This record gives sequence, C-alpha cells and structure tokens, in this order.
Amino acid sequence: MSVSNVTATGINRSERITLVRFIALYSFLVLMILILGSTIYFKLQKDLMLQTKRLELEEYSKELIDGLKLLHIYFDRYRTYPRNPLYRSAIYDADHVQIFSTLKHPEGVRLDRVIYTTDGVIQYIHVLDSYYLGTKYTVVEIDDDRRWFVQTWNSILIYGGTLLVIFLIAGVVLMRLFLAPMRNAIHLLDRFIKDTTHELNTPVSAILSNIEMIDTEKIDPKTAKKIRRIEIGARTISTIYQDLTYLALNHKIASQDEHVDVSSLVQERIDYFRILGESKKITFETDIQPGVRLYIDRGKMARLIDNLLSNAIKYNKRGGEIFVRLRPKELVIKDSGIGMEEDQIKEVFKRYKRLESGAGGFGIGLSIVAMIANEYDLDIDIRSRKGYGSEVRVKWDEQ
Amino acid sequence: MGRTVVTILLMTLTVFASDMNVYERNCVECHKKLPVSLDKFFFNYLLKYSSERRVKQALRNYLKHPRKKASLATEELVARYGLMPKTTLSDKELKEAIDIYWEKYKVFGKIE
Ligand code: HEC
Repeated sequence: MSVSNVTATGINRSERITLVRFIALYSFLVLMILILGSTIYFKLQKDLMLQTKRLELEEYSKELIDGLKLLHIYFDRYRTYPRNPLYRSAIYDADHVQIFSTLKHPEGVRLDRVIYTTDGVIQYIHVLDSYYLGTKYTVVEIDDDRRWFVQTWNSILIYGGTLLVIFLIAGVVLMRLFLAPMRNAIHLLDRFIKDTTHELNTPVSAILSNIEMIDTEKIDPKTAKKIRRIEIGARTISTIYQDLTYLALNHKIASQDEHVDVSSLVQERIDYFRILGESKKITFETDIQPGVRLYIDRGKMARLIDNLLSNAIKYNKRGGEIFVRLRPKELVIKDSGIGMEEDQIKEVFKRYKRLESGAGGFGIGLSIVAMIANEYDLDIDIRSRKGYGSEVRVKWDEQ
Repeated sequence: MGRTVVTILLMTLTVFASDMNVYERNCVECHKKLPVSLDKFFFNYLLKYSSERRVKQALRNYLKHPRKKASLATEELVARYGLMPKTTLSDKELKEAIDIYWEKYKVFGKIE
C-alpha cells in the first residue's frame, strides 16, 4: 500500500465497511420491493392471459352445452358424448360427482372457481341453469402453452435486473454524496495530523539533543532541576510523537523484522522512562534475563514496551512501583497503581477484542499495543485488582 | 280338487309376483296407461334436480305428496289424467322402487 493511501484514522476501511453495510441493507430492501412488484406483475399477466383464454373457453363451453342438450333429449337413441379435438371436457352433477370426463387432469378440477391453471392446463368452469343429463357443472380444459409464463419471467428478469442495477448505482452514488462532507472533514483532520507529526519531530529532537549536551555538573542544582523537568516534558512529547507517527505512517509500512535483543531493548526503554517516573516518585524494579530474543520489527517492539510502561506510570499512584520481568517467551509489567474492578477488566478486554476487528478504540496507547500484538501473534493478558494495581503479561511462542 | 286349483293359482301368483319387482308391479303397471313414458319423467327430474341424491329425494317427496305445484308434468297431462295418486307403497318399498327406477334410467356409465 502506498503511503499516500494511509490515513491516521483508518477512514478508507471504515468507509468501506459503512458502504458495504449500507449496500447490503439497501439491496435487501430494493430486492424486497422488486419481488413484491414482480409478484403483482406476474399475477396481472396471468389474469390477463386467463381473460383472453376465457373468451375462447366460453365458446367451447357453449358448444359443449348444446351437445349435452341434444344428448339429453335423444338419450334413448344416441349416447355419444360431444367431443372436439380443440378441447377436453367433463361434466359434474350438483353433488360434484363426475358424470363423464375426457380431461387430462381431472384431479385438478376446482368447481368453486371459474378459470384457473393447473398442471399445465387451463380449466374453465361453467354452471348450468338446466341440468342436461344431470350436469350442473361443465369443465372445459385446454393446454396452457406457457408462452405467457416464459414471457412474463423474461420481462421480470430483464426489467427487474435493470432496475436492480440502476437502484444499486443510485444507492452507491447517493451514499458517496452523503458521505462526502464527513470524508472531507476526516481527510482534513488526517492531513493535519500527518503534517503536524512531521513538524513536531524537529523541535522535539532539538530540545532533547540540546538538553543532553548540557553539563549538569557545571550549573547550579536549581537550574539543573528545572532542566530535568524540561527533559521530562520533552520526552513525554517525544513518546506521543512516536505513537502518532506509528499510527499515521508506520503500521502501514512493511515491517522490517529482525532478531531483536528484547532484554537490552526493555532495559533501554526503562532507562528512558525512569526520568518520567521520577516526577511521580515511581521506582522501577527489574528482573530481566539477558539474551531474550524475538523476531520482530524493532521500532514496533519499542512502541509496545513504551506504551505499557507509559500506562504503568500514568495509572500509578505517587511513590508507587513498577515491576518489570523478562523471561524467554514472556514479558510482565506490573504496577502498584489504582487497579481496575473485575468488570472494568472485562470492558478493557471487550474493547481489546473490538480492536482486533480493526475499529478505532480506547486510548491510543493500548490500541497501538493491540495492533502490534495482533500483527505478531503476541498474547496479551491483563490482570488487575482494584487498589493493588494491574499486571500485563505479553507472551509469545519461541521462533 | 278345489284345493289343488287354489294351490296352483297361488303358486302361479307367487311365481308371477316374484318375477316382477315392486317397480314393475306398481309404477310400470299404472304408467302403461299414460301417453308419457316413465323415462321422459325421469329425464325431467334429472334436468331439474341433477344429482342422484337430489333426484331421489324429489321423487320420494312427489310420490308421497303429489301436488300440482311440485309437478313437472305438462298441464294437459295433469288435466287429462289427474295428479298421480298418493303412493300406496310402504317407505321401504317406495325406496326400492325409486332405486330401481334410478338404476334403470341413470346416465352414469352409459355415455360413450
Ligand atoms: C295409480 C297410478 C300410478 C302409479 C301406481 C304410479 N304413478 Fe306415477 N304418475 C301417475 C300419473 C297419473 C301421473 C301424471 C300426473 C302427475 O304428474 O302427477 C304420474 C306421474 C309420475 C311422475 C311425474 C311426476 C311429476 O312431477 O309430474 C313420475 C316421476 C312418476 N309418476 C313416477 C312413478 C313411480 C316411480 C311410481 C312407482 C313407485 C309411480 N309413478 C307410480 C300415475 C301413477
């Protein structure tokens, strides 16, 4: 991914998710409407077809009844049922008993209806006033050529499909239109963060390198103390700068993984944070086994450790302690801070889970930890007790 | 001698009677006198009442209570021969007669 596509806020991803969800809901609704419309259209077409066929069937029915009338009168001499190759028919008495039938589908006959389709045939029912041969109902049947059916389906597919496509395009366009102001605002913010981040680097580095150059032996203790405070401030800004850089740029750039000596890295970061801890009179206690290694991007590992340490300071009480232990496959950072209630941990975990799915999150610090842990399959375990402090365990498999 | 004659007479009567069912004995015998045949009456009933159940019910009603209003026969016929006398048959015999009448003239199975 090119750097220009990278955003600090993950707007592209969020936008895509919003778009996909919207389109899903939208297509569902559009599809529902189209199905409803198609059903009505289908019924109308069918009724139309039946209306056209009805005229023909009424003719046949009349012809059949004339035949039945003659048969009724001359039944003592003549008993041949009136047949016509154009249609098939049946006669039923008032108790719905079939008197005679040449139908293809006598089982589909519905004497309570007038005209309907069943099993590939169209049947038309006529109720007689005079019951020739006892016939109350005549049924006339012709084959349903299904042409209307195919035609109707064709138009439904063609017009429905076109409409669906048009609706979808309209939906996407509208969605983009609605999202545009929001996206612009976020892009503006994004650019601002990136630009500011770059511009922060130079002054902060200048302050830090100049403080290092000051020989504290040669100045009076009061000034030295003030300079120390300036250094703490500058270091705090520097860590924030690092985090911002990571979010805005780094995590999208391919990692440069190497075998990192975690032991010296952890020691180095503790030394760096010691000054920051001093302002709250926090002491560090370390138990670091030398030579612990991990295959990881050095900068990212530093971000992870920094954020855990910075949290341990932030949520610690004055004069508290931070305990850091490093073993192969495990880093533990424990504070003597305020701690969290059971349900608060649950909440943190829930949010941590949510982080895994990529959404934005709680404090930038922990989201960075979560992102890095995610990328390198590190296992994060947070334990906490209200009033006693929290313990974060980072575990990994040996590579 | 006289006894033998009576016996023979009785026997012929029973043989004669057993040969003819209640329909032939009763309905046909009387209707012979009419110019309109029984099958014409039947088809009139069929034309008006349609199904087996309804035709039989109408026949039973008419035979038990012949009324001018209910009659399907022509005015002239009724004027000349009078209404059909109320049947003298028992309910069972009447049912049998009507069943035979139906079987004889029904169209079921006769259409080709
Ligand atoms: C005593 C003579 C007599 C007997 C017995 C008799 N009929 Fe009739 N029937 C008539 C006469 C007379 C008519 C014509 C006048 C009328 O329709 O009522 C008639 C008419 C009818 C009709 C037409 C009725 C109508 O709606 O007008 C039917 C049907 C009929 N008879 C059936 C029968 C049957 C079945 C039997 C035997 C159970 C039977 N008849 C026995 C004299 C008789």
